Amino acid sequence: MSNVLRPYLAAVRSTLTAALTLENFSSQVVERHNKPEIEAGGSREVLLNPLVISRNENERVLIEPSVNSIRLSIKIKQADEIERILCHKFTRFMMQRAESFIVLRRKPVQGYDISFLITNTHSETMLKHKIVDFIIQFMEEVDKEISEMKLSLNARARIVAESYLTAFNA
Amino acid sequence: MDVNFRKIDIDVYDEDILHETELYDSDPRDPSQVLSDARQKQVAVRTALARSDIVGALSSILDSPPYGPGVDEAKDLTLQTLLTILNTTKAAEIPGVVKALSQDEQDTLMKYLYKGMAMPGWGDISGSVLLGWHEKLTEIAGTGCIVRVMTDRRLV
Repeated sequence: MSNVLRPYLAAVRSTLTAALTLENFSSQVVERHNKPEIEAGGSREVLLNPLVISRNENERVLIEPSVNSIRLSIKIKQADEIERILCHKFTRFMMQRAESFIVLRRKPVQGYDISFLITNTHSETMLKHKIVDFIIQFMEEVDKEISEMKLSLNARARIVAESYLTAFNA
Repeated sequence: MDVNFRKIDIDVYDEDILHETELYDSDPRDPSQVLSDARQKQVAVRTALARSDIVGALSSILDSPPYGPGVDEAKDLTLQTLLTILNTTKAAEIPGVVKALSQDEQDTLMKYLYKGMAMPGWGDISGSVLLGWHEKLTEIAGTGCIVRVMTDRRLV
């Protein structure tokens, strides 16, 4: 892990660990319903204060805890137009397959690129520290993935341009 | 048949509904006094910083911080004063300073760190400084400190 990213990820890790104290909680409005309260947003007393962790304006994480679910939204670093396109395609690809990632949300929260929804069922069926590890690993990988894709895209574009322009060289 | 009545949120008319003000005890001081307190603390912090007494500066600013609605100016002033302390402290001194604070002061400091991170680019907020403090504070005060920030409704 790079040294500049470490404090940022450490802060996300400790905040997420603190927020992942979930319990089974039935709906207060409808009998025999059980909804993630952070999504339903029906009552104030079960929602906790949302926390933001940011490195700068372009990289931040929003953690919204509630009694039985938490929502974690990530704003991925996008330095230029190509990274913006790549990031959009990448997150779209994954969000279309959200059910294979279990904790992934199908739509990101406004102002963020990708969101996760972790409910008490997830924290009961899976190991809590593994969920945290997964999120942290995702954040590490996504930056790496996007910069790699950008490099290969540029290399490919250069080769295409070269082979195209040799036709005019003869 | 008109079905729009189904969209009316009848829970709003419930007499037992919980209001924002019932979640926490409001500040007994009135807004003008809170603001003058914040100004006094700013002066106190400057003199403490001139003596390079960082623990004294931090504990004076973290004592009874402004919270609740209607005191935005005092909140901004307090955050700004706190940021000057955080930015002037050397990284090696942070653990000693944090250890010298009481638990309530540590919790309030954590609240301000999250508040600062929630508004990057405001004033002289530097993400890396706040993250450095956050890391040291979590090491010493534990995740319980973060849980107390999440559950405390008295937003600074």
